[in-house]
Amino acid sequence: MRHLRIPVLFSAVALLLAACGGQGSGSTGPTPIAEIGDGEGELNLIIWAGYAESGETDAAYDWVTPFEDETGCQVNTTNMTDSNNGVSLMQSGEYDGISASGDATTRLIASGLAAPVNTDVFENYDAVFDDLKNLPHNTVDGVNYGVPHGRGPNLLAWNTEEVTSAPTSWEPIWEGGADYAGRISIYDSSIFIADAALHLMATQPDLGITDPYQLNQEQFDASVALLEELDANDPLYWSDFNDQISSYASGDVVIGTTWPYQVNLLQAESAPIEATLPEEGTTGWSDTWMMYSEAEHPNCMLMWMDHMMSPEANAQATVWFGEAATSEPACEAAEALSPGHCESQHADDPGYWENVWYWSTPQEDCADDDPDTTCVTQEDWVDAWTSLRGA
Amino acid sequence: MTTASSVSAPETPTPQPGRLRRFAAWLHLHKRVQRNLLLGGPLTWMVVAYFGSLFILLLGAFWDRDPFTGQVQPFAWSLDAFESLITNPVYLTIAVRTITIAAAVTVTDAILAVPIAYYMARIATPRVRQLMVVAVLMPLWAAYLVKVYAWRTILQGNGFLEWALGPFGVDAPGLGQILNAWVVLSYLWLPYMILPIFAGLERIPNSLHEASADLGARAGITFRRVTLPLVFPALVAGSIFTFSLTLGDYITPDLVADAKFVGNVIYDNSSLGNLPLAAAYSLLPIVVMIGYLLVARRLGAFDSL
Amino acid sequence: MAVDTARYESADPDIGSAVPAVRLEGVVKRFGDVTAVDGIDLEIADGEFFSMLGPSGSGKTSTLRMIAGFEEPTEGRIWLSGRDMTGVPPFDRDVNTVFQDYALFPHMSVGDNVGYGLVVRGVPRAERRTRVTDALRMVRLDGYEARRPSQLSGGQRQRVALARALVNRPRLLLLDEPLGALDLKLREEMQIELKAIQAEVGITFVYVTHDQEEALTMSNRLAVFHDGRIEQVGTPADVYEHPTTTFVAGFVGTSNLLTGDAARAVIGRDGVYTVRPEKIRLADPTVEPADDEGSAAGRIGEVVYIGPETRYIVELEIGGQLVVTQQNLETSSMEALETQGRPVRLIWKRRHVLSLAKSEGVEGETEEETSR
Repeated sequence: MRHLRIPVLFSAVALLLAACGGQGSGSTGPTPIAEIGDGEGELNLIIWAGYAESGETDAAYDWVTPFEDETGCQVNTTNMTDSNNGVSLMQSGEYDGISASGDATTRLIASGLAAPVNTDVFENYDAVFDDLKNLPHNTVDGVNYGVPHGRGPNLLAWNTEEVTSAPTSWEPIWEGGADYAGRISIYDSSIFIADAALHLMATQPDLGITDPYQLNQEQFDASVALLEELDANDPLYWSDFNDQISSYASGDVVIGTTWPYQVNLLQAESAPIEATLPEEGTTGWSDTWMMYSEAEHPNCMLMWMDHMMSPEANAQATVWFGEAATSEPACEAAEALSPGHCESQHADDPGYWENVWYWSTPQEDCADDDPDTTCVTQEDWVDAWTSLRGA
Repeated sequence: MTTASSVSAPETPTPQPGRLRRFAAWLHLHKRVQRNLLLGGPLTWMVVAYFGSLFILLLGAFWDRDPFTGQVQPFAWSLDAFESLITNPVYLTIAVRTITIAAAVTVTDAILAVPIAYYMARIATPRVRQLMVVAVLMPLWAAYLVKVYAWRTILQGNGFLEWALGPFGVDAPGLGQILNAWVVLSYLWLPYMILPIFAGLERIPNSLHEASADLGARAGITFRRVTLPLVFPALVAGSIFTFSLTLGDYITPDLVADAKFVGNVIYDNSSLGNLPLAAAYSLLPIVVMIGYLLVARRLGAFDSL
Repeated sequence: MAVDTARYESADPDIGSAVPAVRLEGVVKRFGDVTAVDGIDLEIADGEFFSMLGPSGSGKTSTLRMIAGFEEPTEGRIWLSGRDMTGVPPFDRDVNTVFQDYALFPHMSVGDNVGYGLVVRGVPRAERRTRVTDALRMVRLDGYEARRPSQLSGGQRQRVALARALVNRPRLLLLDEPLGALDLKLREEMQIELKAIQAEVGITFVYVTHDQEEALTMSNRLAVFHDGRIEQVGTPADVYEHPTTTFVAGFVGTSNLLTGDAARAVIGRDGVYTVRPEKIRLADPTVEPADDEGSAAGRIGEVVYIGPETRYIVELEIGGQLVVTQQNLETSSMEALETQGRPVRLIWKRRHVLSLAKSEGVEGETEEETSR
């Protein structure tokens, strides 16, 4: 986030112009494009770091250049730091699409920013695992608003020289934080409150947490209280994956939450870093490529979506980031890059994913049909996070 | 000239002034047009880009926002942003923290800058003075981010500090200390304090110092009774820089101290989509600086800018 | 205070009763490659109004600054009232200075400026107040205590600077071209006032100026500086009437030199001679000079009408030129200007011709009359 110094003003001007311009789009529900036309020559994407490699870090991992060569769509990417940032970037209207996690997708659909897509236009959609199709976070009333990219868990990572007995649960962070005071690495986003709720789900069943993203006030307060205990141990918060890598590499942090991506990069540099999926489960993501409803380059975006489901690209992307591939053909292609990839990532193991809580948006109605329950809203999550981080 | 010679002389018509020259002559007689041409561009820029954006910022603070999607709704008026600022005490904490560090950085820079500037202006030979001016300006040649990242390598684990002081049992401070922000910001803005004080000291005629000595004052008394009061407006001028730059900074606190300043909240909220809150909170440094500038003007700082 | 001029004319420091207020011995000041003061020996008696006269760059200000202590001599020694000042900083010298730019502290009131020296010396408040009031009264600025220097006129600032120095009752007051920034009228007033104040307080004044008239009117004695050296020391009358070198003749007054062929033809001898312009009379070419008079024929070149007098630049037939000033007793400006181009005869008393042939000693005839 700090590398993008977008002044508030420009966003404001953009908003003002947007307001003066066309109004009331998205409400009528545009019909999805029925056939992919010619590429527009350019494609602007909001991505998670590592989701669009062109061989600059490792020449073996390049799924952007083949796409550009084939379609003539020049790919430009912007990293988001968290889902809130991704939503905000989509609101600017300058991007064709985003690799949105579940906590962004619902907001993008609700605000009309995400375009419905007709999955029939994609060659590679049929092969996608069934449990990745028509998921509630990217499908509303049977209308698809995107296609899957991959899924993965948030992991507990540690420095094997400093943490000698390999942890199997989140306990060293939540209960044993004082042992690692000042050396804990924590993801800097309001969505991390869910990680606290997840831990409470296992340790304090009395609270009755059933979904770490849909919390009533009592559950929410308990989660925030747990976070405050953690915060008292001076963790180092990361929002840029590079910062986290350099913190682990320098030894400033020795344990914390991370993405498989950083673990791969650190291990590639022979850093003494190990990671695990703790026994009480974890938060994670199931990412969806979504198209902006007024995208400037819709054909390129649709071609990109199809490309990202193709066996070669999907295999490369998911191996590179360390997440599960989305189809059987992709798993076969991944064997060449990383033998046993799909097995170790549980790509086709629906049972495994029951232990992983995909990021999703906290909603006032608790995202259920029960009219009696109310949950703490996304806005309050952000507010609580600001309080925690700013105090 | 006789009639005969005027007849025989070849016709030399009075040289017709070029179009540009005629325009220049006309301009010379129309001072208002001249002034408008000179200031038109910059003033338009000032009004449209500068005040215009400030105005939109102010406006944005009162816009409503969908709590679920985060979508800002321009021209839908609401005081929600201000309400959040008031009800959540964290915003006051952050404001106090930011202003405290800004004040600490200002005082630190003043304490460091006065002796350096004094040496440059009054003691150093012209050659040494030139070298010192270059040395003071040198950090300004490097990009801001480069300097902050350099400080990260000093402060972080396995960094320079640990290497240098490790043998004495001193650990690296790490990147989570608020004191880091104080040190790094003091370093970053020091030139902005030295230069005005240096200029202010240079403006004091040497005869004033001689007169003070001549009247029986030792160097210390001269400094306290003559030099310091005369350079004080320049010091206040420098403090405007150090204070306002610190007040608006958000990269350094984030990178070296993992601390939230006012700027971080503004940045975070604009990047997370809560533009009204960002706009409302950014009014705080504006108000603080207006107050600061009013006080500075009373202290005569603008006479020495 | 009446100053006994005779005492100074015969001043012989070894015999003089009092210890000299200032004594310089072989003082040299070099700034890098530049020699500002090139070996000066000088004694200034207690109570004297002594001027150091010279063009800019002649070393007079450097000498003053060494006496004040702002500069240390490269070579030589300085004694103030018999005390060796080597290594003594300005704040430990019983000397005060009036600066050319007055050097008033802009952030202090007039009263605080004047009282500054008393404050830093720890004079009690009550005494301070009376002394400040007295000093301001002396320079006729009583009641101005609360003003800021920026609210004063140039002449008033000058007087504040004077009061600020005098309030400390120094033994020696140094004045560095103190009237240089004032206009003519004010300067003349201040000259008289300064002289009166010096007489009143009886402090030794060392006065640096490049204005020969100022030096002549105010001083008991003066030294003419040139190229870091002293060309001549003496009473104003001495220096004006008997300049010993061509430089002094030129700097103090108008030079009017007769050299080479002109000297041989007019004076009848080789050498360098001068006649003061006011000693020369313009006459009709036919007029014959008297026995004790010299003369030369010429033609009036430029005519400069100055008001009370007119200055004629006369081109001599035998080459060279002489400047002649004549009081405008009867002539008007028109008449004066009409004389341009006329042939004239210049006539002067032989005893008014001064020989500058050598840098030491006076060969020309002299006379007692010194009025101008």
